[in-house]
Amino acid sequence: MAEIDTSGGGGKHKGGVRSKKMSTRVDLTPMVDLAFLLITFFMLTTTLSKPKAMQLNMPKKTDNEKDKQEVGECQVLNVLIDTLDQVWYYEGLQVAGLQKTGFDPSAKDGGVRKVVLDMMKKVPNTCPLTSKGNKRDAIVLIKMLKGARYKNMVDILDEMDVTGCKIYAIQEPDPIEVEAVENGGTVKTFNKDVVQETQK
Amino acid sequence: MPKVKVPRKSTAVDMTAMCDVSFLLLTFFILTAKFKPEELVAVDIPMSRSTKSFSDAITILLNKDGKAFITINESLTRLNMLDQMVEKYGDKYPELKTLTPLQKQFFSKIETWGGPVSELPKVLSMDGVQLQAWQKQMPGIPIDSSNNQLGDWVQAARYATNGDIKIAVKSDKDTNIQPVKDVVKDLTAKDIHRFLLVTTLAGPGSADAGAAKDDKK
Repeated sequence: MAEIDTSGGGGKHKGGVRSKKMSTRVDLTPMVDLAFLLITFFMLTTTLSKPKAMQLNMPKKTDNEKDKQEVGECQVLNVLIDTLDQVWYYEGLQVAGLQKTGFDPSAKDGGVRKVVLDMMKKVPNTCPLTSKGNKRDAIVLIKMLKGARYKNMVDILDEMDVTGCKIYAIQEPDPIEVEAVENGGTVKTFNKDVVQETQK
Repeated sequence: MPKVKVPRKSTAVDMTAMCDVSFLLLTFFILTAKFKPEELVAVDIPMSRSTKSFSDAITILLNKDGKAFITINESLTRLNMLDQMVEKYGDKYPELKTLTPLQKQFFSKIETWGGPVSELPKVLSMDGVQLQAWQKQMPGIPIDSSNNQLGDWVQAARYATNGDIKIAVKSDKDTNIQPVKDVVKDLTAKDIHRFLLVTTLAGPGSADAGAAKDDKK
């Protein structure tokens, strides 16, 4: 275009040099390919990295009598989790009646899920009414023994969610319970004054 | 018979419109994407069926050995937290009061903190390479009830955000229950009663399969 025509004429066009007409169309297919590849990448990375969480509410310490809940021995299910991913449970204050199960709901005994479900079915029918005349619901006391894994805590909280158990609390195990689990379910000294206070 | 002439059409389609759309989407995803922060502490989180997602949380990390770390995403919050901590621990560790604004800026760039407060001046005078080396072997934030620094950090974060922050606990699934209990105890001592336990979503049946495997052990 800016070159000087030195060919000395002879061409058909006098004066102006006509540049060759080129198509302005570009093949966009590779660009689209690349764009979609990046879209896929960003879509996958954004949706997959969102963490999930479960809510855990711990009770507030209170001296207010109104906030305290009436708890009967018959509605309490104690669940203990030991270092070997085993679950030990007993009802009420009968530490001597400790039984063993696991987390797996497809096991023969139905695991801890069945234990909790049975308890939830049983309590409203068999327990005496509260002083206000309401039916009682099952209360699960979760006690993680020393050396248990964090995973088991999440598992048992998950079971609470699966079974729909509304009232549960995480507590420190009593020495007598530790002893019972260590002895494989038998207790030598039965301590009747196991104090248990629960709040949701 | 005269042949029917099929007009030859070009197979090339105009890609411009498609290109426009795809780049529009691409821009959207790039702008909305939030990358995973670099994970300095390896934590293998347990599975649950909880589907609740969360944001705006300060994360307390607990690794396999039960060491505690704290992660905050907002750099401004981190800066405010540092000021809170300097105020609180300044009398105990006088070097904290000598931190320069530049060093405080440096702290606001550190997403995960995992050391006692007394190490702050040392760490904040490091350069990038030294910091990386230090971050690989962080000693962890003290979580004893006598030296409840984790509770103070969390409280500082709550002050810095006007209480508008959630507390997430992200712990390894093989972590001993004791440090988890300690952390919960530390925070209930600071009047914090709601926690989020970070988990991954278990596919249908996979949690049960995991439990079954553990039972056989």
